Amino acid sequence: VSSIECDQFIARPPSVVWRALTEPDLLASWWARSDIKPVVGHRFTLDMGEWGVQPCEVLEVEPEKLLKYTFAEGALDTTITWRLEPEGQGTRLFLIHDGFEPDSMPLRRMGGGWPKLLAHLARTLSADRG
Amino acid sequence: VPDVDVFGALANPVRRQVLEALRDGPLAAGELAGRFELSRPAVSEHLAVLRHAGLITEEPRGRHRYYHLAADPLAEVYDWLHPFERYWRSRLGALRDFAESADFAPEKAGSAPEKGAPAPEKAALAPEKSEEEPL
Repeated sequence: VSSIECDQFIARPPSVVWRALTEPDLLASWWARSDIKPVVGHRFTLDMGEWGVQPCEVLEVEPEKLLKYTFAEGALDTTITWRLEPEGQGTRLFLIHDGFEPDSMPLRRMGGGWPKLLAHLARTLSADRG
Repeated sequence: VPDVDVFGALANPVRRQVLEALRDGPLAAGELAGRFELSRPAVSEHLAVLRHAGLITEEPRGRHRYYHLAADPLAEVYDWLHPFERYWRSRLGALRDFAESADFAPEKAGSAPEKGAPAPEKAALAPEKSEEEPL
């Protein structure tokens, strides 16, 4: 596996979902503090708490349709793509998180704050599981 | 399988090196201590963490104890994208809950019932309530 794809229906039009993805105040409400702007070439960070502040850069913008940026430069070196499609009265939101080295062994690539990130994630997930 | 401990155990560089050293075959604790210029107690501690995580197994041979790499938990780590997938599903759920919440009614929502009323600005955000994951 070298990429993750998920989708989610949201009972709000793409214009609303777009704002939740691109306006720092709104983004912080459901994910992470950020100085994101939907402008190609804009460099920003996502404050992932214990995971560390991750540097990112906007790669592609199609207002209310597509937002693509690099994610966790120097740590994961991956790309996140958000795609919005109208569906009925709402939006189908597609997420692609790709660029993971398919054959990379985590033993080798875990440096810096990433191990902590994984440990934290694992703790979270296991707590999740009850 | 205690996957929590797998990731925690792998977070330490010495423990990763111990695992790499064991890829070529079992080693005794003393041999490992020699390789890493660590005290025996320090090595024992790392070995205990790895053993607890199920990453290595211990085999007594005479007066010595040998350590083997255990394959299963590492296979789990190879599938390391799985936690990310779960993470994203939970984020997408959080986004849906947030965007659909009554408090988040941006002016562009399209279905605003009364046009005369001042559209709530983005300041009218829902206070964080159900954020069980501190990510």
